[in-house]
Amino acid sequence: MAFEQVNSKVVRAQVSPATAVLARRGAMLGYDGQVTFRPVAGQGGGVGGFVGAALSGESNPMMATEGTGSVLYGFRGLHVTVIELNGSGSLTCEADRLLAHDANLQTGVEFIGQGGIRAAVRGAMTGQGLFTTKVSGAGAVALLSHGGTYAIPVDGGGVAVDPQAYVGHVGNIQVDLAAKVGWRDAVGRGSGEAFQLKMSGQGTVYIQASEQKF
Amino acid sequence: MQTYDVHTLPSNDNVNAYAFSIELAGRWFVSKGAMIAYYGNVNFDGVAAWASRDGFIASRFSSPIYIQDWVVAEGQGKVIVADRGFDVQSFDLEDGNLTLRANNLIGFETGLELKQSIVPGFVTLIGTGKFLASSNGPVIFVEPPFRADPEALLGWADCPSPSHHYDAQWMAASLGSMLQGMFGRESGEERQFDFTGQGTVLMQSSETLREDPALMRLIESQTSLLSTQQAGLLGQRLVARAQQQ
Amino acid sequence: MVTLTADKRLLHADLAGETIRAATGSMVAYTGNVEFKNAGMGGGGGFKAALKQKVSGESIKLMECSGSGRVTFAQDAMDVTVIDLTGDTLAVESEHILAVSGGLTLDVKFSGLQGMTSGQGLATTTVTGQGQVAIVSDGPLIALAVQQGVPVVVDPDAFVASFGQMSMNLVSGVSWKSLVGEGSGEPFSLRFEGAGTVLVQPAER
Repeated sequence: MAFEQVNSKVVRAQVSPATAVLARRGAMLGYDGQVTFRPVAGQGGGVGGFVGAALSGESNPMMATEGTGSVLYGFRGLHVTVIELNGSGSLTCEADRLLAHDANLQTGVEFIGQGGIRAAVRGAMTGQGLFTTKVSGAGAVALLSHGGTYAIPVDGGGVAVDPQAYVGHVGNIQVDLAAKVGWRDAVGRGSGEAFQLKMSGQGTVYIQASEQKF
Repeated sequence: MQTYDVHTLPSNDNVNAYAFSIELAGRWFVSKGAMIAYYGNVNFDGVAAWASRDGFIASRFSSPIYIQDWVVAEGQGKVIVADRGFDVQSFDLEDGNLTLRANNLIGFETGLELKQSIVPGFVTLIGTGKFLASSNGPVIFVEPPFRADPEALLGWADCPSPSHHYDAQWMAASLGSMLQGMFGRESGEERQFDFTGQGTVLMQSSETLREDPALMRLIESQTSLLSTQQAGLLGQRLVARAQQQ
Repeated sequence: MVTLTADKRLLHADLAGETIRAATGSMVAYTGNVEFKNAGMGGGGGFKAALKQKVSGESIKLMECSGSGRVTFAQDAMDVTVIDLTGDTLAVESEHILAVSGGLTLDVKFSGLQGMTSGQGLATTTVTGQGQVAIVSDGPLIALAVQQGVPVVVDPDAFVASFGQMSMNLVSGVSWKSLVGEGSGEPFSLRFEGAGTVLVQPAER
């Protein structure tokens, strides 16, 4: 099943008994047909996944949409980008970017960056979002962003990204975490550690034109 | 970038998706603060001030709780209106009626009459004329039967006023588990506006709702339905809520 | 030579050894070899400009970006417009400056005592010289021509920038003579007269 892009901020899903949808709570805008909503705790991946999510701060209140009908999803006027996964690769993003996805996709918590556990903990404390969600399987994912996403190809050479503007990435990409002299001037609007995400390998990184989280 | 002058600026049409140019030759009702620029000889005066000057204007604007949020633009020229960078669209009503979220109505011609809807936070336009609505993303039109998250509902035309629908499964899951505290706040999935009959429902992406100053006036006026004791209890609850936040 | 390119809400700066100045914290991504450093009192113009900034409350913090590669900037998902200057002067609300190429001079200008007392942020930054300036706006900019005998009146909260030979006057709305809360909702307006162009955004700050 795919999401139909109604406009830049809203998608429509055709839900059937074979194609349920998991979505962020509060993201349902309206529906027709016989559709029900059921809150689910955290994200998929069983008890372990949930505990991991809670610890990492990557837990996101979700709900299942079941039944038969067509449902509109959107969230606080944020832009929505639909990404299709064909089963061979996975999408990495921050959990609160997930607007909705096919219920048969698997999600799990992933820890990005090579800075070691200390850097990870520090990142989690400063809200740099180093714990991410990995979505895999075949199906569609709808991602939220402030002002829309822009795809930047990663092709060997490497791209450095402001963690606040990072939305997600697909492909065979290695993410390194680094602090750099002068970086605070470049990204440092708030306090906190001035990190950059160094992306290398082959794939696409999605960024938003804003450093605002929602 | 195209530079407009007084002649090339669109006449009663969008300048871009987020701004509309009114060709003013007479009067328009305009929401306070919506004007971003104008050419010509135009006066902006409060609707309340007009009420004592012209009975016709007063009869067109029959809602005391909204009157202080509106002005009358009068004169000759071109007036550009916009609202928080939201999409702006114009609609024509012909001897019709349409109900819209009050916050999203930014202007209308005096051929239309504004009345407060029975649904709090919404107003109804009746008559013939053009009106301007802002929305978070382009307006999405759907037909009943349809259930809408109240926060994403922009308005409706021709169909009966909605009723509340509570999602039985959501309520059961919510009450039946200890999770209730976790999503005690409404998220939109447990309660919808249920539309039936023939007509059109207007939807937008949900938004962090802007404070509607009129809503407080409306609710305050309705507390006169309560007994003195009930009003006191309500007051205590509201104080407790304010202290929690 | 084009260094700055607008891509809707993004600005790309292609550097081949040049230095540009951009709003501090606005970099969202880059490739290549680029150094970032604080440009100090970003407005330029030395001590006098610094003092004026302090007085006017306009803070414009810029960083210098130099090296070779592509740097991408963005701010609060606002639309980006690149304006080419060929010796003329652009007056722009300071918080709307995203980046300026080398060769441009920035200075802070008042619109006079009236502007100061209104608290409407009428102290603007002027950008002068030959080069490119990237400005951000909440929604696409609308350019309005001002001609002799055809002034334009704009809401100060929607005003972004202007250029040309114009005089600007503050006109007060009717709210002064009306009761509080029943005014026009546009307590001040800016009237531009002369010959030039005014840029407004479809949103109010």
